[in-house]
Amino acid sequence: MRSVNEINPDFAAKAGQAASEQSSKSNLDIFLAELGRLKRIVAGFGLSASDGEDALQDVSIQALKQSGKYRTREDGVRWLIKVTVNRCLTEHRRRRSFRRRACEILKRKTETKTHSNRADEKAIVAEELEIVRESLQKLDDSLLGPVVLRYFCDLNSKEVGQILGLNPSTVRSRLREARMILARRLLERGVEP
Amino acid sequence: MEKSCEEIREMLVDYADGQLSQSESNKVAEHLGKCKNCRRMLDALQRSLELAEVIWEDGLGETKEIRIPIQVKARKIRWPRYAAAAAGILLVVTTSILWRALVRPAKKELTFTEIERKITESASAARLLAAAELLAEYPDAQSIVKEQYRYIVDTYPETAAAAKAKLKIQ
Repeated sequence: MRSVNEINPDFAAKAGQAASEQSSKSNLDIFLAELGRLKRIVAGFGLSASDGEDALQDVSIQALKQSGKYRTREDGVRWLIKVTVNRCLTEHRRRRSFRRRACEILKRKTETKTHSNRADEKAIVAEELEIVRESLQKLDDSLLGPVVLRYFCDLNSKEVGQILGLNPSTVRSRLREARMILARRLLERGVEP
Repeated sequence: MEKSCEEIREMLVDYADGQLSQSESNKVAEHLGKCKNCRRMLDALQRSLELAEVIWEDGLGETKEIRIPIQVKARKIRWPRYAAAAAGILLVVTTSILWRALVRPAKKELTFTEIERKITESASAARLLAAAELLAEYPDAQSIVKEQYRYIVDTYPETAAAAKAKLKIQ
């Protein structure tokens, strides 16, 4: 497992630099600059390309409406992430996320030659992957948001808390709860990691 | 004092994320060395996160297809368009007001001389008409009477007598 440092130095440096300067850019400019990160959130919530496109379109329109409202770029980025997370959660509530089955994911991975071709290993991974996919799909809104932002968007607990309006300690407890749910489901289904 | 499995499991996620202090981390590591079940749980925690990342990365590949139409950016430059339309309307309204003020023909006002002339003409025409009507009673003077009516119509066309004379000719 990759080690995750609580404070991402890259993000902290960027945030510090951004906080010191007043933003002359509009929210739409920030949106376009941060599109990669927002797409990462969309992927983290398991939205399809079309649902993700709808979500990001909505976010871009909201960014237009909010232009000039935030003093610093950092505030603008935080607001954009929050809006994107909320929009993605709406889709998640409709249970339209994580629709792609494990076999499809593995097929794509095999095609890109990033995975072992050994049949037995593939079978085990497919089963495990399907369990985790289902678990992510069923994960409560209050847990999925922190998990995606923390482990897929590399934000620390404080940053996640600022975005979701939670205390860092609450973020940590939700992360613990979510991780334990995912792990227990793997073990309950008899998969030995 | 040695911690129980339940207490260790509370700390396992933070342990995996490197969030524990050195002493806490040592205690967890010590417990893991002796407890197979907690080791399984730690493996499951790590494995589930690895698999979640596989799913997320796969989704990220799909987001490459997402295109945000450039029209979103074009909205930003609509204000000049509205400003141009507003300026056009303002120009038309201003031109209209100026035209009405400067070019509109002034209302013709009657002068005293003009009124006097009209009264004189009306009186003359009425006198001639009265004379012609007197002559009309004589059958021999019919041709002269008609000529008189025509004269009134031609000479004093704007008078009431001219209108009556016109009726007589018809």
